[in-house]
Amino acid sequence: MNRLVKQHQKVSIDLMPTEPTTSRSTRSRLCNAAIGLGAATVLASCASDAPQDTWAPEGKYAQDIHNLQWPIFMIAGIVGLIVFGVITFVVVKFRDRGQPIPEQGHGNALIEYVFIAIPALLLAGIAVPTVAGVISLNDTDDADCVVNVTGQQWWWEYDYPVEADGTICGAQPTGEAAPIITSGQMVIPVDAKVVIRGTSRDVIHSFWVPKLNGKRDMVPGRVHTWNFQAEQPGIYAGQCAEFCGLSHANMRMEIVALDKGDFQAWIDNQLEPYQSPEAGTLAAKGEETFISQCSRCHQVDGLTDADGELVVSAPEQFVWSGAAPNLTNLMTRNTFAGASWDLLTEDAREAVWEASADEFGALYLEGVTKGTLNEIDLKEWLRDAPSKKPMYTDPENLEDTDGKTRGMPYLALSEDQIDELVAYLIERK
Amino acid sequence: MALIEKPAPIAVPDVATPSSSYGVFRRPVESTGWKSWLFTIDHKKLGIMYGAVALFFFLVGGFEALLIRLQLAGPDGTILDADKYNQMFTMHATTMVFLFVMPMAAAFANYFVPLQIGARDVAFPRINAFGFWCFLFGGIFLNTSWILGGAADGGWFMYAPNSSVPFSPTSGIDFWGLGLQITGIASLTGAINLIVTVINMRAPGMSLMKMPIFTWMILVVQFLLLFAIPVITVALFLLMFQRNFDATFFTVEAGADPLLWQHLFWIFGHPEVYILILPSFGIVSEVLPVFSRKPLFGYPLVVFSGAAIGFVGWGVWAHHMFASGLGPISVAVFSVATMAIAIPTGVKIVNWTMTLWGGKLIFTTSMLFAIGLIVQFTIGGLSGVTHAVAPSDTQQTDTYYIVAHFHYVLFGGAILGIFAGLYYWWPKVFGKLLDEKWGKWNFWTMIVGMNLTFGPMHVVGLQGQPRRMYVHTAARNGEGFFNITFWNLVSSIGAFILGIGVLLFFINVVISSRRSEKAPLDPWDARSLEWLTTSPPKEHNFDVIPTVGHLDEFFHLKYEDRGEGDHHDFQQVATAEELIAEQEANADEHIHLPSPSYWPIVLAFALPVMAYGVIYNLLLVPAGAAIALASMFGWSLEPHTASPADYDPPAPEGGAELEVSTNG
Amino acid sequence: MADTAVQVAVDEHGHDDHGHATTTGLSNNKLAMWLFLGSECLLFGGLISTYMLYRGRHSASAGPDQFWDIPFTSASSFVLLMSSLTMVLAVTAAKRKDDRNTRLWLTVTAILGSLFVAGQVYEFTTFYREGLGYTTSLFSSSFYTLTGFHGVHVSIGVIMLLAAVGMILKNRIPGDKAEVVELIGLYWHFVDIVWILIFTLVYLIPA
Repeated sequence: MNRLVKQHQKVSIDLMPTEPTTSRSTRSRLCNAAIGLGAATVLASCASDAPQDTWAPEGKYAQDIHNLQWPIFMIAGIVGLIVFGVITFVVVKFRDRGQPIPEQGHGNALIEYVFIAIPALLLAGIAVPTVAGVISLNDTDDADCVVNVTGQQWWWEYDYPVEADGTICGAQPTGEAAPIITSGQMVIPVDAKVVIRGTSRDVIHSFWVPKLNGKRDMVPGRVHTWNFQAEQPGIYAGQCAEFCGLSHANMRMEIVALDKGDFQAWIDNQLEPYQSPEAGTLAAKGEETFISQCSRCHQVDGLTDADGELVVSAPEQFVWSGAAPNLTNLMTRNTFAGASWDLLTEDAREAVWEASADEFGALYLEGVTKGTLNEIDLKEWLRDAPSKKPMYTDPENLEDTDGKTRGMPYLALSEDQIDELVAYLIERK
Repeated sequence: MALIEKPAPIAVPDVATPSSSYGVFRRPVESTGWKSWLFTIDHKKLGIMYGAVALFFFLVGGFEALLIRLQLAGPDGTILDADKYNQMFTMHATTMVFLFVMPMAAAFANYFVPLQIGARDVAFPRINAFGFWCFLFGGIFLNTSWILGGAADGGWFMYAPNSSVPFSPTSGIDFWGLGLQITGIASLTGAINLIVTVINMRAPGMSLMKMPIFTWMILVVQFLLLFAIPVITVALFLLMFQRNFDATFFTVEAGADPLLWQHLFWIFGHPEVYILILPSFGIVSEVLPVFSRKPLFGYPLVVFSGAAIGFVGWGVWAHHMFASGLGPISVAVFSVATMAIAIPTGVKIVNWTMTLWGGKLIFTTSMLFAIGLIVQFTIGGLSGVTHAVAPSDTQQTDTYYIVAHFHYVLFGGAILGIFAGLYYWWPKVFGKLLDEKWGKWNFWTMIVGMNLTFGPMHVVGLQGQPRRMYVHTAARNGEGFFNITFWNLVSSIGAFILGIGVLLFFINVVISSRRSEKAPLDPWDARSLEWLTTSPPKEHNFDVIPTVGHLDEFFHLKYEDRGEGDHHDFQQVATAEELIAEQEANADEHIHLPSPSYWPIVLAFALPVMAYGVIYNLLLVPAGAAIALASMFGWSLEPHTASPADYDPPAPEGGAELEVSTNG
Repeated sequence: MADTAVQVAVDEHGHDDHGHATTTGLSNNKLAMWLFLGSECLLFGGLISTYMLYRGRHSASAGPDQFWDIPFTSASSFVLLMSSLTMVLAVTAAKRKDDRNTRLWLTVTAILGSLFVAGQVYEFTTFYREGLGYTTSLFSSSFYTLTGFHGVHVSIGVIMLLAAVGMILKNRIPGDKAEVVELIGLYWHFVDIVWILIFTLVYLIPA
């Protein structure tokens, strides 16, 4: 291939600016950096009091994670700023100002090795506490309290087993001990290492209460243990964190922490025997309606029918995932339908959620009263649950689920029936 | 309007081959018109088609994204119901990953790898065409689900058992699985083709370490595809058998382990993300040196780090599963491995920065996109390091913080790189430049839009907003003006700005195509061999296959070092125009190109037939298989070049004979 | 015949159909086949892993011990192994341009391969009658899927073998005949090796 020899020629390319690039370009490069910094500043102003804020830990394990996390964020942030700084500098300093073709350098081994060594050392430094953190977070032995947690589309069930020594979640019940089954809000004592044993009845869910710990997947066919330890009484918000279908967004939960005395009171209340409503009241009618309309899926412990037989629910016959929330003491918790709606009116809810650590326990134990009940959402739910919370795409076509529903079906209840049920349910405490 | 210059007429080949095909129809030998596109086996035409279809799907995926952001602009949105939303985010991700980024990389690879290595086509041109049609038919098949009962709704990661029939009864997931099998065939055949091309068809003198860096990155990507696609193939078959033939691979009651799907998917899925990013790394590694007027800093280490990323990338898949109950030892191991992979990635950032250092920087639109990638990808990479720390990841995973991370690396990395490549190589492919002023508007609007959309997601994620939620609600969004509700609105506005930015690209394309000025042969004073061609290149690419003596061979053809010892003084000794003229004067005399064929498109057509059969009527499966079998026979029995009898009227005598060393 | 030019002389230095040298000296087709087989390793790796995970998930009365007929499967494995031998004979015949023997050994290989597939079909129908259906258990689903994929690969191999026989007869193989036979041989040996792995892991090693 012949080489065509030309006279010494400076490079000139038609489309390249031959005069030095204007200050407009410099300004726009600096603009880029400014956007970056501005964004950083703005992003620093976030929500105050976001209930699931992972940077505002309130429990031991969340705090451990945060202690590991924020220095690493700082390092990452500093590295980022250095990179932006260097790029900004380079882009300003070496822009085309009509200089000749630069040195055609191919590299510099020293720079390469230094910039491999630096990140390697940094990462090695990060790796050590990381591994330690992994091991310590996974230590679920020596629990003070064990709760069996089961996720299913689209709510959480809590089963407090009776331990060999007769305690339930570390508390000795005053009366006769029996397993306690609740849903939505998991009540635990403060300063106790609470270990959940979690699984699922259908698809993979994930149990996540950010202020107390990271998340752990709840996988059908497997049992995963995970720790929680609250330091203060209060209510801690959480959400299912593994995509689980239509109402994944409506599958929430809360962990409620009570001090030792309040927790004892809660346990004892949960174990109180069933009390039928007073004869002749709307609530008594509601009890009948409940038996006929609801009890085939929803269990209320101690409920007896007209013949005095205990009513035992059989949700596995009607619901694809096999269970429905136990409503025995519904009004001792203040959310329902997968913690998606409040049982309390707005003001009452705020009072409970915003209560200080000293007042919280007493307020929570009051439960829901006639005066503080959020009738609107509860009645809408009873009227037509699937339209309030998406639960299956085609309620007419239950072929693929063997005729079983997913979640609560539309029951075509009359307004009277709904009023009766509300009157009955408000007494479930 | 023909975008490609009409090639010189092909003369009768002097190698006699079996005279006729066994096809029913005459072999398509047209060199102009729609038939020349439908039956082409020319890597350049295929590259353009890959690019055009990919950009179309980019708009589809973008539209899906805008609907998502509309739904999430405020709390308790009602634009999309839960079911539609689940379909929308599943298809948005699937479309962007499989129908945009991957085929766009294939577009660049198909067009430029042969040119960069001094070859006249890929090793197996008909297989190349087959791959393209598989991609197109697979993408169309996948999207017909929208009107055939609903699209897939299990997320692009399609976890079991949520992907089983009781939890997702429409055929959407079947469309998804089968569609991806079809596009997977495109990726696999493309991988084999490009690896053989790069290994076996380089110009004389081009050792592997003199090969352009883009081709190197593509080579690594093809190896990743070669080994990753079979794994997801297995997963998709298991899912298909589960859903359609009552197998129980993911039925927990029968004893199945849902984590099997996760492992299979992520063993594919993690190399997949390197498949998505490395081509853009390659593009940027080409663009930065050209517009810095100096070579890539540390070329061997950039090559090596690309290979290292490809290799180590196989060992980190379970970092997508840190919360899934793997056990502390696995989690710890994968956590450390994930940190390790940050090192070769960091090397690239250093090398790109050092390429700019001491250069003579020219800020064309392509260069802006390339520098944009460095900045944006760094953000994404650093957030990635924060989730390599497994305990932190248990707070971050499945939140918008992860969504922010991967959009920064995918949009800020892969897509900005793609746009850098589009602006850089457009004049070579189409003979016209894209307008620089519109280009800058395109760039800045996209940068502003991108950061407004995905920047706030870091915050809302860390503050507790999980992903894959069809609504967010005031109760979980916190107090204060700058709460989660506010940042979601900002993200949504940003998304529309980003959409406008993308639109500006297409406006630029239309406006630039209306202009009549032809681009110079070498508008950027580039460095690698694909620029030693006409714009667009002739059908046979090079009149003379160059003998390569250096990395950045094209630069060394134009510039001679007149300095002494350590002092270098590069002076221009030739322009691109002169080099091309010289080539034309010494053009090779015997250039045979393989002829177009319809077997690739016929064979590709058989696949969606079989796929529809699986969903609707099993009789279609053997019918499709029969078409496939017949096509494979027709294909094997067809000679590489058309016989004189295929031309009508008969082929002209004389003219340069074109010869090429290809098979397939 | 007019198409003698088809038989472009190809020496051992890896030229392609048109006699152009490749950069490494390996032929394009051969390199492509090796790469394809590399990807197939991952395919079978995934299927084998699934089987190994699920091999124990069956009821007590419907496990491998109840169904496997090791002598029979050993016999069909031997048949497949022998087919690899005949394949080698076909390749050597092709290399010395002995069309007649190439066709002979290709046909014998195809017959042995078909015998193997027939053996598989017989085996599976027996299992099915004895109560091991596709959906009976995870063990059965994984088993049939793994061996089914292998069987399909063998069947496709048989089709390729017979097609090669036909094409050699009609002199319709473009380019290097010996290489085509060698490539089919590579595929065939790979399928055989996969079977050895499956036979060992699935049949011979107790669950």
